[in-house]
Amino acid sequence: MAGVDVGGGGGKGKRSLDSEINMIPFIDLLMVTIAFLLITAVWSHMARINADAQVPGPPRPDVEPTDIPPEKILHLQMTSPEKFTIVWKSGSQVVTSVDVPRKDDIKENHGVKTVRYGVVTCKPDDQPCFNAMCGRAPESRSLAETIACEWSNNGSHRAQADKKLDQAVLHTDNETQYVFVIGVIDAIYQTHRKAESGSPLKVSEVPAFNVTFAVN
Amino acid sequence: MPVHEPGRRLMHFVPLDFVHKKVTGHGGRATNAGLSLTSMIDFLIVVVVFLLMTFSASGETPPAKGVRIPSAENTLDMIDAPMVAINGQQILVDGAAAGNTRAIEDNKRLQRIDELFNILKGKREVWKQLHPNKDFPGVVVLQIDQDVPAVVVKSTFQTAAFAGYPNVSFMVNGIPKSH
Repeated sequence: MAGVDVGGGGGKGKRSLDSEINMIPFIDLLMVTIAFLLITAVWSHMARINADAQVPGPPRPDVEPTDIPPEKILHLQMTSPEKFTIVWKSGSQVVTSVDVPRKDDIKENHGVKTVRYGVVTCKPDDQPCFNAMCGRAPESRSLAETIACEWSNNGSHRAQADKKLDQAVLHTDNETQYVFVIGVIDAIYQTHRKAESGSPLKVSEVPAFNVTFAVN
Repeated sequence: MPVHEPGRRLMHFVPLDFVHKKVTGHGGRATNAGLSLTSMIDFLIVVVVFLLMTFSASGETPPAKGVRIPSAENTLDMIDAPMVAINGQQILVDGAAAGNTRAIEDNKRLQRIDELFNILKGKREVWKQLHPNKDFPGVVVLQIDQDVPAVVVKSTFQTAAFAGYPNVSFMVNGIPKSH
């Protein structure tokens, strides 16, 4: 019988202080727990990428319309196989425009593709790192790095207390495969900033952009 | 040839007592070996702790059959919302057929998918009847195969927005961040 000696000792006719803990039920419980956890284990982690449709709300005739100046919006065009074009627009007016060479980093694992367009290694508050990254020639930067630099130069919502996010609109042609669209949205979401949220206020890293998928 | 009594024969011919004892089993080690339970229980506990840490009580939403979901790093957790799957040319809403994309792929032109629109609109009305005092979240999750062309994605996106689901999410395989 499996057991554990807990030590101690008796003697001189008294009952022994040694007692055995029966380990068999304990091992059975561990085995059943392992079997249950293995059966219910989830090895693939499904997640989602947000891309809202920016639909205007219903009209409110009771509220006096106020004249709000148009915000700067980042438009990312992936209509050319050679380059991406990043354009900041304020209303219909073009503020800045920059071209980024298109380098599709495609990895395939068991038929599932992953397309990536670079990595932003700088932390949101690491200004020297941003300066070094953005000081490089635009041709040598990846799409994710260029978007981070563009946001650093032109982003409107950068304060920690600002709960609003800058808007990015993705334009594609009709033939582009979905996996490339996801790669570009993932690159846009690589730019992070610090923001306060919750009660009590807690500072956390959030994506700097809210992505919209243009259907035109 | 005579038949011998069965028994141990190995090294019987050696005329030495200690050899005889050894080969006949006398004076040898006990055949019952003790099992070290401590290391086995340690191992079992480590396995249980690891599995408990990776356990997900919310379960998992498996992608529809035949849909190869692309991977991405900067993702959000899944939410409970209507699931629109596009597998090749077939559209499914929560597993039920909701039209196909053949017309869009043939015309290569953005258009509303009426069957999908009607099903999503119906789901929205049911939700509003069940939750009369709550704001409709308008969230839909799209499970789209990695090779589907953008015109189909745009058409589905637009149809969902028209049906009252402006908060569209794309389902992806979450991968760990590389930085």
